[in-house]
Amino acid sequence: MSSVQDTVFSIISKEAGIDIAKITPESTLKDLEIQSLDAVQIIFEIEDHYKITLPDRDPNFDTESVKGLVDAVEKLLAEKQAASPPA
Amino acid sequence: MRRVAITGMGSISSLGHDAGEQWRAMREGRSGIGPIANIPTDLLNVKIAAEVRGYDPLKYFDSKRLILLDRVSQFALIAAREAVAQSGLTFSESNIGERTACIVGTGIGGENTHNEQSQRFYGDKNPRVHPLTIVRLMANAAACQITMEYKLTGPAFAVVSACASANHAMAQAFDMVRSGKVDFAVTGGTEACITVPTVKAWEAVRVTADDTCRPFCKQRRGMVLGEGAGIFVLEEYEHARKRGATILAEFAGSGMSADAGDIVLPSETGAAKALAAALRDARLEAGDIDYINAHGTGTPANDPTESKAIRRVFGGYANAVAVSSTKSMHGHALGAAGAIELVAAIGALREGVIPPTANFIDPDPECDLDYVPNVAREKKVRAVLSNSFAFGGLNAVIALKRFD
Repeated sequence: MSSVQDTVFSIISKEAGIDIAKITPESTLKDLEIQSLDAVQIIFEIEDHYKITLPDRDPNFDTESVKGLVDAVEKLLAEKQAASPPA
Repeated sequence: MRRVAITGMGSISSLGHDAGEQWRAMREGRSGIGPIANIPTDLLNVKIAAEVRGYDPLKYFDSKRLILLDRVSQFALIAAREAVAQSGLTFSESNIGERTACIVGTGIGGENTHNEQSQRFYGDKNPRVHPLTIVRLMANAAACQITMEYKLTGPAFAVVSACASANHAMAQAFDMVRSGKVDFAVTGGTEACITVPTVKAWEAVRVTADDTCRPFCKQRRGMVLGEGAGIFVLEEYEHARKRGATILAEFAGSGMSADAGDIVLPSETGAAKALAAALRDARLEAGDIDYINAHGTGTPANDPTESKAIRRVFGGYANAVAVSSTKSMHGHALGAAGAIELVAAIGALREGVIPPTANFIDPDPECDLDYVPNVAREKKVRAVLSNSFAFGGLNAVIALKRFD
């Protein structure tokens, strides 16, 4: 399990108040019975944690499922790293 | 029971600086949505809005007065002046001002002042905050400024219910005139909250569109922020008739409800309850309504829910009633929305023209009513409903009748 996945799981668990054991990469937010306002809070907490901006309703990004969120974060982090000059 | 006439109408929005100009734009299906020009956009993801453009406050207010007025109060006063002038009433005569209520809705209040002073304090680290900050930003400022301009000494206050503020305010003013508590009211809604932090806050809710506002159609991507004001003069019907006033429409009734459910997701039941209550209060049947000015925000959630609520209340008449969202043209002016939309409702009643839902591409199977896509339609309009459904599940519907 990647560290991004750990973090995304824990944010979802905390914001939606659901047991972390119930979350799998395959779950959609809908399966987890996460309401729209909780969903935008989850996305906000992920963005704030990683200092990234997840796109809004972009067909190239799946922000409906947990795996989709993890992939999106990893992709954006990779882009961010590529864009920043080497230390 | 006393009847209530609307004898004055004033408005300012992205579609124009007076009600007539805005009505012409709506009838032509012209949109006031465009790239944001009044504030810096470098930090914004959503770079479009329906801003009041080409606006010079000094055309309306001298600099001494202006220092007291947030943009939200300026808009309210401009609309009030137009409405009062049209009504032909002189509030200083025959104790009219003493018998007049002034009730103005706003969702936010003096957001520009709040933003400027916060920037000064936190951003510029300037410890001196302007001494008129409070009186400019308080949510009741617009209502107060109107009472002072016309010496209206009856009941006066602001009404706050997010996107339904204007309709709630006008419903309250209507009740006061109908019940005899007052004989006149100056009422409506005003909003001016297109600032960088507010736009960012709306972006964060993920309900704002980045292309344009396309209510009820399949390609809709959300709402577009607007701003402006609409103010109306309400008058006891017999008084208006006897003095030979031009009666723009009869304010026939209102219906209000709370979903008491989700803080953002709309409820079909709550909306239907307000629609049915408005019909009952106005002593109208669904078959009497020829036009509904929808809340129609263009969000994925509102439009199907609102359509289902209309279908539930209208039953067999649902296919016959024309429904349009003029937010496709003037954006979502939040606490002013219902008031700007009443200009559309009155225009439809008086001219027999239904303003269209602009920017409409393909129908959405979830939204199955007649939305008058893109082009206005001529149709005799006997009575209209105007819907506002706010975040927090606060619903207010207004019913108007044609005056013949």
